[in-house]
Amino acid sequence: MRMGRRLGLLLLALAAAWHSPALAHDRAQIATQACSGAAGLSEAAATLTAGASSATPEDAAWAATLTGALLDKTIRCGARASTIESPSGFIDAATLAKAAPADGSAPVLSLKNRPLVETARAAATLFAGATAGERAAALRALERRAASLPPELFETAAAREPDAGLKEQILGVGQSALLNSSDVAKRIAAIERIAAQPSRRAETQIAALKSDPAYAKEPVFAAAVDAGLASIDRWLRVSSVANTLYNGLSFASILFMAAVGLAIIFGLMGVINLAQGEFIMLGAYVAYAVQETLRAVAPGLLDWYLILAIPVVFLAIAAVGVALEATLVRRLYTRPLMTLLATWAVSLLIVNLVRVGVGTQNLQFVTPSWLAGGKLLVGDFIVTWNRLFAIVFAGVTLVATWAVLKRTPLGLNIRAVTQNRAMAGCIGVPTRRVDMMAFGLGSGLAGLAGLALCPIYNVNPQMGSNFVIDSFMVVVLGGVGTLAGTVVAALGVGQINVLIEPLYGAVAAKVIVLLMIVGFLQWRPEGLYAVKGRRK
Amino acid sequence: MSIFTRRTFLQTSGALAAGAALPLGAPAFIRSANAADTVKLGCLFSSSGTMANLEGRLNYVAKMAAAEINAAGGVNGKTVEVVASDPASDWPLYAQVGRQMLTETKVAALFGCWTSVSRKTVLPVVEQNDGLLFYPLHFEGDENSKNVVYVNSPPASSVLPAVDYLMSPDGVEAKRFFMIGSDYVWPRTINKQLKGYWKSKGIDESAWKEEYVPFSFSNFQTLVNQVRAFADAPGGKCVVVLTVVGSSIPDFLREFANQGITATDVPILGLDMVEADLEGLDTKKLVGHLNCWAYLQQAKGEANVKFLSGWKDFVAKEKVPFSPDVAIDPMVSTYDAVHLWAMAAKKAGSFDVPEVRKAFAGLSFDCPSGYKIGMTAENNYVSRGVFIGSVNEAQGFDVLWQSKDTPKPVPMSPFG
Repeated sequence: MRMGRRLGLLLLALAAAWHSPALAHDRAQIATQACSGAAGLSEAAATLTAGASSATPEDAAWAATLTGALLDKTIRCGARASTIESPSGFIDAATLAKAAPADGSAPVLSLKNRPLVETARAAATLFAGATAGERAAALRALERRAASLPPELFETAAAREPDAGLKEQILGVGQSALLNSSDVAKRIAAIERIAAQPSRRAETQIAALKSDPAYAKEPVFAAAVDAGLASIDRWLRVSSVANTLYNGLSFASILFMAAVGLAIIFGLMGVINLAQGEFIMLGAYVAYAVQETLRAVAPGLLDWYLILAIPVVFLAIAAVGVALEATLVRRLYTRPLMTLLATWAVSLLIVNLVRVGVGTQNLQFVTPSWLAGGKLLVGDFIVTWNRLFAIVFAGVTLVATWAVLKRTPLGLNIRAVTQNRAMAGCIGVPTRRVDMMAFGLGSGLAGLAGLALCPIYNVNPQMGSNFVIDSFMVVVLGGVGTLAGTVVAALGVGQINVLIEPLYGAVAAKVIVLLMIVGFLQWRPEGLYAVKGRRK
Repeated sequence: MSIFTRRTFLQTSGALAAGAALPLGAPAFIRSANAADTVKLGCLFSSSGTMANLEGRLNYVAKMAAAEINAAGGVNGKTVEVVASDPASDWPLYAQVGRQMLTETKVAALFGCWTSVSRKTVLPVVEQNDGLLFYPLHFEGDENSKNVVYVNSPPASSVLPAVDYLMSPDGVEAKRFFMIGSDYVWPRTINKQLKGYWKSKGIDESAWKEEYVPFSFSNFQTLVNQVRAFADAPGGKCVVVLTVVGSSIPDFLREFANQGITATDVPILGLDMVEADLEGLDTKKLVGHLNCWAYLQQAKGEANVKFLSGWKDFVAKEKVPFSPDVAIDPMVSTYDAVHLWAMAAKKAGSFDVPEVRKAFAGLSFDCPSGYKIGMTAENNYVSRGVFIGSVNEAQGFDVLWQSKDTPKPVPMSPFG
């Protein structure tokens, strides 16, 4: 009975939407319904969506306010009346007139109601949005659910839209709403429109038409469906290759950043530094300190803290590295096993100091607006900004490190000392100072790795231990002493990992990659790129 | 494993050397036994390693509950002293530290473990020594030891109601399921039981997919790609049943949001997801994802107000390194556990495990969740209420649904 009445109401609203040019919403009733529990809210949202195209401009604005308040939880459902907290004070949910705040709370939107209310708000905003930008955003929200919306919504909205460009877009989206229309030509246009934005969802939507009676009866329609599916399928294959490459590249960039500091400290200097992971962690903590300082001193620059932190992080961690070298590592150059133990002790010390000083909780990083989310490029291929940042950052670091090692006097000295310490000392290279500088450079790079990782991973005192094994793996595989080897090894390990993961799972992927590395090192113990010539 | 153990000892001694161990509590076996008019309770919660951020808080909650009991006059004329330790998220170490606590520190009861794998390692130790372990996490069930008090719910009164809700018209009428878990006993058993449950409802095997990742795994890019592909395939609404633990949870959520999937597209049911996992995340893009527990911070009632203000005061007074404004289910369960133990010891008039165990039957306690939780003579399970929470903008959970009363816990699942 109740179901029937609800359906009747909906049909009535739909019928009204088709026939009368402007029908006023029954504001009081809808507002009460929205506050009457989950079922009532579903009904209210459906009524608002169905009536959006026929509502008066004032009603559309009201509907946008009401649904916005439901989503932002600024509505208070009182026993008698409900109020909305607006910037100018409390207003009545039905009349929008100033009112005393009702005591009550906002209803929690269930998973079923949330999309309904979101659609109702987008439909209302499409008519009542003050700027073209707002209306365009509403159109984007409606686009995903276009096929389930009344086509009249888009027709009316397009007719009223003052902005010519947006009008075109609305008409375009409206086409995909006609997928289930009675006119075959319109349906074919809708298929073409949907196929133009290939995604798995589009594929599912069009593939469902194969069981439509028209598919068997109308050869033109069948051809359009098949062509649409073929085109989507092609793009999906392209996007899946792109996804794999991008994921591999992004993992490789993380591995490379974690390993580049070690490539210098272990690769060039031969020091086994087990505190490398903790330098990465410290780098992230310094980035956090920069963020908090900016928040206190210059909140306007907060969005750019990752960039501003680069020199601070590099210098701070390089200083830590230099201090470690001068106090500990320098005395142990001839005793590699001791270095290993000493740096391990340092790593434990750093972890525990941070744990006690800052706490074990994950640090709260502000995600800069330019790093949140991503962009859907083609088919299913999404470029996420935080990963892209890590890739670009790794690329820049690679170029900078390479330039320092090959193009500066410091780099020349580092290479000379690491290739033949005695000879370099004889011709006047200050070997002790060069050791210190090289260790500082390697540590600073590890710090930068921490900075690059903080938009992707959680930052806590334990994060370093995850990276130290990976970074040794990459450096050893690449061949001790070459930057190019580290790059190629990172790319290889990253890509292979990503290729195996969907097939055998993440656990097996780790095992298989490690086995492959063990096998490879059996065959080529010197790694991918061996330094030619005589080493000490 | 021996390397890890040695490493952990180095770690703890390193912390001591740095003069650091004081606020974290010295490991049980280092502290000497003192004063005869105290009764000791042992905590097995890690303050280092992948579980540190979550388990670390539980040490302090146990201390807070003990302080409340002491303020009310102690138990059987003795003051309660909580002894904390650090098993460092290293599962075998839980057993080792637990054994030391039972045999050397002579604790009256143990409170501890988060992951099921750590509980399984402690299980033989408490059984051999006839000790008592209060376990504060909801878990996979299928275990019924007289030496463990299961303070939180088995799947039948936590996971299944939540899955039922998602499959119902009130939820999203979920038809397909993507299960992602950390690779150990809890996710695997939960998923096995879920599959059995779905089979019993006549759902075909093609409707679900199962993936496991190593502990502290963080690179979820490829897996989230797979979720998107699976969700967009035909066959009805897809939900993700997430059983990864520790630091993997926020990493997964971040990648999920970055790839543009919202809760209205593919909802996540995070079985181990708590407020603490949302710290440091922008939850605006995660609004609507679900969890299910026997307590949520927004639970209504006086007991909860009292608990929350008690925790806030305790954090301020003891300088606890955790947020004063976040309360999670295992905290409340640990709090309940200490109180339940005190009530049982009082009722038995003794601290002997067999006596205390006999006194469990018929106990009930006003839990901060608003339910009156109780124990029967049948087993060591505690009947708790059920909450389904929905992530909100303020890094917390809104109560989306809660059970009318406390369902009777079913230890052995008929679906696994």
